[in-house]
Formats: sequence, C-alpha cells, structure tokens
Amino acid sequence: MLTADEFYLVAHNDSRGRAKLHSSAVGIGLAAGLLGELVLFGQITVSAGNVTVVDRRPPADALAHTVLDQLVGESQHQSVRTWLSFLGQTAATSVAERLARAGVLRRQESRRLLRTTVGYVPIDLNAVAWPATRLRALLDRPEPPAVPDALLFGLVSAAGLTREVLWSAGPRAHHRLGVLIPALPPPLKELVAHAEAAVGAAVLRGKP
Amino acid sequence: MPPTETIQRPSNVSDALARGRLGVPSVIFFVLSAAAPLTVVAGVVTTGYAVTGVTGMPLAFLVVGAVLALFSVGYVAMARRVENAGAFYAYVSRGLGRPAGVGAAWVALLAYNALQIGLYGAIGAAASPVLHRLFGADPAWWVVALAAWALVAVLGLLRVDVNGRVLAVLLVAELVVILVFDLGQLGNPAGGSVSFTALTADSLLVPGAGALLVLAATGFVGFESAVVFSEESRDPKRTVPLATYLSVAIIAGLYALSSWTLTVATGPDQIATQAGEQSVELIFNLAAAQLGETAVTVGQALFMTSVLAAMISFHNTTARYAFALGRERVLPAAFGKTSPRTGSPRTGSLAQSLLGLLVILLYTVNGWDPVLQLFYYAGAGGGFGVLLLIATTSIAVMAYFARTRVEESLWRRAVAPGLAAVALVAIITVAVDNFAILLGVSPDSALRWAVPAAYPVAALIGVLWALVLRGSRPDVYARIGLGAESAALLAAPGPAGEPAPARAEARR
Repeated sequence: MLTADEFYLVAHNDSRGRAKLHSSAVGIGLAAGLLGELVLFGQITVSAGNVTVVDRRPPADALAHTVLDQLVGESQHQSVRTWLSFLGQTAATSVAERLARAGVLRRQESRRLLRTTVGYVPIDLNAVAWPATRLRALLDRPEPPAVPDALLFGLVSAAGLTREVLWSAGPRAHHRLGVLIPALPPPLKELVAHAEAAVGAAVLRGKP
Repeated sequence: MPPTETIQRPSNVSDALARGRLGVPSVIFFVLSAAAPLTVVAGVVTTGYAVTGVTGMPLAFLVVGAVLALFSVGYVAMARRVENAGAFYAYVSRGLGRPAGVGAAWVALLAYNALQIGLYGAIGAAASPVLHRLFGADPAWWVVALAAWALVAVLGLLRVDVNGRVLAVLLVAELVVILVFDLGQLGNPAGGSVSFTALTADSLLVPGAGALLVLAATGFVGFESAVVFSEESRDPKRTVPLATYLSVAIIAGLYALSSWTLTVATGPDQIATQAGEQSVELIFNLAAAQLGETAVTVGQALFMTSVLAAMISFHNTTARYAFALGRERVLPAAFGKTSPRTGSPRTGSLAQSLLGLLVILLYTVNGWDPVLQLFYYAGAGGGFGVLLLIATTSIAVMAYFARTRVEESLWRRAVAPGLAAVALVAIITVAVDNFAILLGVSPDSALRWAVPAAYPVAALIGVLWALVLRGSRPDVYARIGLGAESAALLAAPGPAGEPAPARAEARR
C-alpha cells in the first residue's frame, strides 16, 4: 500500500471513516504523503525548500501520475510549502478515491439538511485498522523499519497523531520513533519537516 | 494553441491558492472584533476616567494612534520577511538577537495573560444587568466569571474560534451602538453646551498623562494581528499594511470620539466623579436618560458578548503564543502539541485556563474588587507590557533593516520606526513616572513598582534562559523566534547549525 493511502487510513481509523485529525493537518499530511511517494519512486527530490522533478517518466499509479504532471506542468512553482498547500486542498478526496478504486473504501453520499455530503466508509474494518496496527508492531521489532515505513512514521508525527498511533506503546517505542525520523534520507526528512511546519502554521493562523 | 497562451498560461496552483484569500475588509473585521470596541468604551474608558481623574483621554487615543501608525510602517515592512510574523518576539529575535527575543516572549506571555484574565473581572459587571433582566437573578461576580471561564476553556480546547460571520455581526452591532450612544451624549450636553475641553492639549499635559497613554495603548491591543494573514491575503504587500493602518485609524477615531462625548454628557469637571460612582454602568445610565430603555438593553447585551468575544480571542492568542514557543522548544515540547481532532494548541490552552481559574479563585477568596482590582489593574498592566513590546519591536525593526540591507525605503526602514521608538520610549518613561496615578494608588504603594517591575524581571529571566540554551542546547537556540517554522529548520540547517535566513527570505 502506498504511503498516502496508509496515512489516510491511520488518520481515519474509525468504523464510519470519519477523520481523527483536523482537516488542515489531514490535507497537509496526505499532500506530503503524495510527494513522498514520488520521492520514493525516484521521480522528484526535495532540497533547500524546493521540489525538483528528476524523472518525468509516468509512474504506475494514476494519482502519482497526476501529481507528477502537475509538478511538471507548473515548474514555476517549486516551493515545497506551496505544493503542500495546493495538494492539501484536494488530497483528502483524491486519496480516498484511490482507496475506493483499490476496494478499501466505499464512496457514500448522504443527504442531510438539503445538503449532499460525500463520505468514504470502510468496506473491511480490519483492512482499515491494519496500517496503524502494523506501525505499532514495527516499533517493537529489533531491526529498523524500511524507508517507506519510516516516512509514514515521520508524517504521523508531523501531523500530531503520534499519541493516537502509539497509545499502547512504552517509552522504548517513543524513543525509537525519536531516532527514526532524523535518520530518514535527506529529501524525505526535509519533506517531513516542512509538513510539520505547515501543520504548525495552520494552527497559528487559528482558523480551522 | 496560439503561442501567446503558452507564454501567459494561467496557473492552476496560483488560482487554487488564491481562492478564499482575504481582502482588506476581512482582515480589518478580524482585527477589530478581537479589539472588542464596546469592552474598551464601556469598561476601560470609564474606569480610566474614574481612577486617573484626568480628562485628556480622547487626545491620548489620538496620540497613541499616531504613534502606532508610525510604528506600523516599519512593522508591516518587516512582517513580510519574518517567520512567525504574528508575534512581537519574532521581530525582536531577528533584530536584536535571540536572548532579547526570549526576553520579549516572556514579557508577551505575561502581558497577554494579564489582558485575558483581567476580562474575567469585567464579565460579572457586564453580565449582571442582562441576567437580571432575563432571569431576575443577581449572581455574585465570581459565579459569572467561573461560567465564562468554563465556556472559554471548552471553546479553547475545541478550537472554536467564534465564527467569523457571528463576530462580524456582533462587531457591526457594537459599532452602531457606540455611535448611537455617542450621538445621544452629544445631543444632551451637560450645562447645555458642547465642551471641547477634553480635546485640548492642556487636558493631557498634566500629571497623569502617562497613565492615560497606557490606557489608550490597551485599547489598541490586537492591531498587531493583521500581519498573521500575510500569506492568506490577496496581496501581502498591500492588503496587510492597508488593513493595519485602517484598523489603527478606526480604533483611534472611534475611541477618541466616544471618550470625548462621554465628557460632553457629564461635563469635563464631573466625568471623574460620575465614572467613579457608576463605574462601567456610566455609559448605560447616560443612554437610559437620553435614548430610552431599549437602547440600554441592547447595549448591555452587546457589552456582555463583547467581553466574551474578547476573552475567547485573547485566550486563543495566548495559547498560540505558548504553542509557537513550544514548537521552538523554548517552552517544554508539550506546549507545541495539538489536539489531533481539533488542532487546538491543547497544552497552551489548558495552562492559560488553569491560570485564569487560579486568579478568579484568588480574588474570590480574598474578596478583592473584580472591576477595579482585576479588570482595570490587569488591563492597565497588560497594556503597559504590550507598550514595552511595541517599543522594543520598533528598535528591533531598525536594527534588522540596518543589518540585513534589504531593499526598503529610508522612511520605512529607519525614519518611521525611529520616530515611533523615540515617542514610545517617551510614553513609557512618563508612564513609569505616573504609575501610581494609573493604578489610582498612593505614590508609596508597593503595587506602584511591582506591576511595572514584573516585566523587566520576566525579560531578564527570558534572556538568562536563552543564554542557558545557547550553552546547553544550541539546536534549540538556533530555532528561537521561528515559531512553527522552526520545524523546517531541523531538516536543513545551514553551516554550523545556524539557520539560513537567506533561503527563508527567498521563499517569501
């Protein structure tokens, strides 16, 4: 499962698919997840606050392809923070759609007070709860997690979800998490740091 | 596709991010609703007349407004180049160094907490006429204060910034009520003729002028928050400066007018006596005689909502200050955590609420007067702290522009902030001299020195703390002043762990 998908499930780990996280942090976390996927595919890199496309060949995943096309098409915008804001506006829907295509979520329209709201509800509760469970278990193992998992840990921490994911974990797990993120490859470490800064800036701005 | 289109291609990214950006009116609404005009006019102005006995208040508002407009010139110019632009200590860190920045942060925490907690003293007086009319009940002030405290604490945790539209409606209603009351007072002058005494320089150039200038500055608190919207405004170079200047002008004009008409209605020689006898009720008693009961009912209800809105707004400001400091690790990291579901700065909010509760209980147990000794003392003390912050920031702005040599006109980078700094230091000097008059205590009272001395002590502790951090935790020291943006510094430290301001500047 791709990074943004897993982040989505961690942030919406609920039988009715509702968010456990405020919407601006969900958007920023998912946007960072989408950019992180492209970094992991080796198609973009992040340094000195900017996103640079290094490989224009289309990635296999349709959403990743769309994001890459946007990055290529608007090369005048390079700032990570700009892309986090831009992708964050639509990331919750686009990642949920991807999960719906993969058969994990089901799109559900509900009418309430003359307004139609679209939600995404889990099809299999176990599948939805799995990423968070897996992350918890990873920190108990002696060997360090793989890079994609470390990135996911970084995004969970940047969005402020650490306590929700590690609710049952002991101080050793928290300590391991603390050394994991600084050990990320530099582009991913910077991406996580910018996500954390963007979430903090959203809190400081005050408007939900 | 015609070639011109490929050259000037519209950008989806820019368009999407531009949607929902704020214009000048939205930013002004935000600033003014946090300033809670009716709280100042009915609360601060009347108590100020009663305690100081000086009639020059209208002029004091105009003088402070002019000084703050001058200050804003350099402030908004620097705001575009500073991370964490909403907080004065960020400017001080960048201009005068990180130790001074932490000192300013401690002063700010003290001042904003004082302003917020002081409002708990006013809510009892503000709510009792409304509660009496609605339920025929007359609860003790601390019952009302505790109820308001619980409301603020819960809303702070839920991150319910009162809905912008609700605030706008309340604000417009407040402005209308203030202006109608002003007209009523002008139409019924004491002794049959309108007196301009309170507007003459003689009325301000008396012992006690410093006290009035501090009170006037209290009324302006909140004007600094427009810069928070730099990134969300349609045109940061225009929207934010214009909104800041207009807010200062509106506040100055409105408060000067209202404090003057009050002296017209009572007569300049009677204002101190009548304000002393009737306290926050003065403005409503005048309106009852001039405009009838309905106007009073509306006014009193709005006074209550105004105090509540100000409480919530200052509570959130204080909690966010603590959050920014927690993100920098200048305060414990727990302050930098948010509640996941709501995104509220949880620890900062809880800490502020706890402090508020302790103060309410302290005043209840000791039987101290809520309006005079809590609302007025804390408001005046907090206003003095903000004045100190503004003065330090104006010096920091000059130092920053002198050091970085970024392109900016001489007026913006040196002349305007320089004039503002001179004026602010003069105001502070007179204010310290007049502090006994400001608080209405005898010149040998311990309070007279304790309140102004709290700030230098807080600043000193902050500076020492920064020096400790420099020695023991250089990574934290490097982050000072960056607020939430300090997270981005972790990833890409410049040479020797120093931040790379050049990069940050290129980004804005």
